[in-house]
Amino acid sequence: MSKTREVILGKIVKSNSHTDYVCQVYSLNEFEPAPRPENYALGTFVKIELTDGTSPAYLVGLIYDTVLLNPEFGRLGPRLSSESELTTFSPDYLNERAVLLGITAIGRVKANGEAVLGVPRLAARSDALVREMTREEIVHFHTGSGQLDLSYLPILVRIDNPLAYHLARIVLLRLMDLLPAYRAELDVLEDDLGWQTQIGPLGGLQ
Amino acid sequence: MNRPLGRAKGPGPTPHSFLFVSPDLEKNLKVGEFITYEAEIDGEPQTILARISERRPVRLYPDPFSSDPAIDPNRVAAIVGYSGKTSELFEITAEVIGCYDEKLRAFINPRVPPRVGTPIALAGNEYLSRVLSRVKAGEVGSATVGWLLSRPRLQVPIAIDVNALVSTHMAIIASTGAGKSYTAGVLIEEMLKANNRAAILVIDPHGEYETLAEIANSNALSGDGYRPGARVHAPGGIKIRVGTLEQGDLRYLLPNVSDRMSYVLGRAYREAENISKKRCSDPNRWTLRELEDAIDRQGENEEDTFDRGSANALLWRLRATIHTGADEIFDDQQQTPLSELFQPGRVTVMRLDQVDERQQQVIVAALLRRVFYARMDNKNEQVAPGSDNYLPYPVFILIEEAHNFAPANADIVTTNILKKVLAEGRKFGVGVGLISQRPGKLDPDVLSQCNTQFLLRIVNPVDQARVRESVESVGRDLLDELPALTKGQAIISGAAVNTPVLCQIRERYVRHGGESQSAVDEWRSYSGEAQTRRRERDTATPRQPSSRRSSLFKED
Repeated sequence: MSKTREVILGKIVKSNSHTDYVCQVYSLNEFEPAPRPENYALGTFVKIELTDGTSPAYLVGLIYDTVLLNPEFGRLGPRLSSESELTTFSPDYLNERAVLLGITAIGRVKANGEAVLGVPRLAARSDALVREMTREEIVHFHTGSGQLDLSYLPILVRIDNPLAYHLARIVLLRLMDLLPAYRAELDVLEDDLGWQTQIGPLGGLQ
Repeated sequence: MNRPLGRAKGPGPTPHSFLFVSPDLEKNLKVGEFITYEAEIDGEPQTILARISERRPVRLYPDPFSSDPAIDPNRVAAIVGYSGKTSELFEITAEVIGCYDEKLRAFINPRVPPRVGTPIALAGNEYLSRVLSRVKAGEVGSATVGWLLSRPRLQVPIAIDVNALVSTHMAIIASTGAGKSYTAGVLIEEMLKANNRAAILVIDPHGEYETLAEIANSNALSGDGYRPGARVHAPGGIKIRVGTLEQGDLRYLLPNVSDRMSYVLGRAYREAENISKKRCSDPNRWTLRELEDAIDRQGENEEDTFDRGSANALLWRLRATIHTGADEIFDDQQQTPLSELFQPGRVTVMRLDQVDERQQQVIVAALLRRVFYARMDNKNEQVAPGSDNYLPYPVFILIEEAHNFAPANADIVTTNILKKVLAEGRKFGVGVGLISQRPGKLDPDVLSQCNTQFLLRIVNPVDQARVRESVESVGRDLLDELPALTKGQAIISGAAVNTPVLCQIRERYVRHGGESQSAVDEWRSYSGEAQTRRRERDTATPRQPSSRRSSLFKED
């Protein structure tokens, strides 16, 4: 497995609950290199720093939602400046456009590297940096105890979001790719979620 | 243990059942199929056998996915994003049978249910062959009547315990055409093999068992100097001495006997017994003539003129009903020695077709009584070799149309002796097999005394209900299969097997005599060209005699 590069996605700007955070994705002008949409796709594992960078401990979260903020939406009147001119004359206006990510915390990794899955005891700070987890970090988080651990899955499917089951399926498919040794077990879970998301709503017996 | 097909889910609806879940991709887990799992008993890992009693789908495509027969619902599912393999998932209920004890050759408790998640596998063929019966196929005391229905042909032979079958009686119950006389034929063949050499008598009211005579020529049943025998006796070929008939037999046999006639008969019967006792020290050797004379003398009672009328009526009935002689079943002096009726390694068929039903019942009652008491006396060594009643070995009597001999809700001449034999025959080595197509008409006590059952297809709800109430060893799940069984498929349960099994009865070695007649074939044959010509010839009007010939016989 080739080592993957860590990408900074943005910062925590708000939380709705102990495990439900909102991250604002860094835009082109804020951070170099700016994250690309595939870095913050639905179901991406992210790590949220727990201190101001002094400790390697972090929360582990999953992107469960994406919201685009655009204050221009609904303003149908004529503009005096074109969009290219806005970059020069009114960059603050452009900054009001943002991509917000809904992140649910599914565990944490302690400073000593120990992975603890489930609802984390600690909460993140405002402005805490949010990074995309590398493949190695994802594998470690799930198999650090010596065997595959997915104990956050029940929490995941119960989050208040209509995409919760689909999110869980995306996670399982990702893990099947990262952890081929557990493919059969993950397949059982994925098959069940597949039935519940694809056939159950159409009237299939379950 | 075979590859797991499912995993235990939890306890079932009854204390001895459990649930497991399986996609059953190979379509192996049918109702009645045997499965195994491993459990620890007294610190030792043991294989536990269980039988599937119910399967319920827990995952099914929506019905509209199958609304177009030309389209596979899996394709529809794939279109909406489901491409999994387990589009069908079943929750299966299994009844725990137990752990097989090799020494006892039986299943023993404790019935340990599997822990949640325990792998469940299909029971292996070799394992099943070893545990389904106390006896193994081919060994002494076994009758290999077929193979386990859920497994490929001959893979798991069903060997039943002949000793248990004979000592605790058996019943073959099936609708017409389901194969009951065929099954009986297979059983007889097996019991006559060199490893069993049974002494069997078949009571055959319809003449269906005539082809058993071919057993004597069957190489399949012979070997090592042994060759089974078979005798088929037409009505009259087996003699019953009238003196062995009881007063109740006579009263039952004679039509419309009034109380007064019954009284006269009782007195005459006792007189005939006394005459017989004086003549040969045996009260059961009276002749029909002696009984008639005794009845006649009862009519000479001058004090009561009614006796004359009753005696005459009785005589008339007696002469019209019971006949003795060379071609008759009843005889004044002779009775067929029991050792001629029963010989180890031989089947004797007693045809009773063309015999009136009441006479059949009296004949069977007299025969059962004679065999039962003879075996009792033989057991007590009170019978000398050479005697008519010398019968030093156990016997097995197969009775066709058993509902005619022990009908429900009626006490007839055979009922009591049949119940006696069923209750006590075990002690004296008299085994009975009952065959009936109408268990609903069969006395429930009699049916419940038959501890091994062969249940073939039964469609009639009344008959099914009677089987349910009388056959305790078969679970409701298996009994539900009764109307769906096809020809030659049987549920075998009871004492001769360790657990009820669904069995495919094997092919007969000798021809079956009880097939249904093909009416169409016979009609076609009758109206065929050759037949028509022959009929025309047979019914042709004789040619007019010539005048010359005519004149030779002319009366002048």
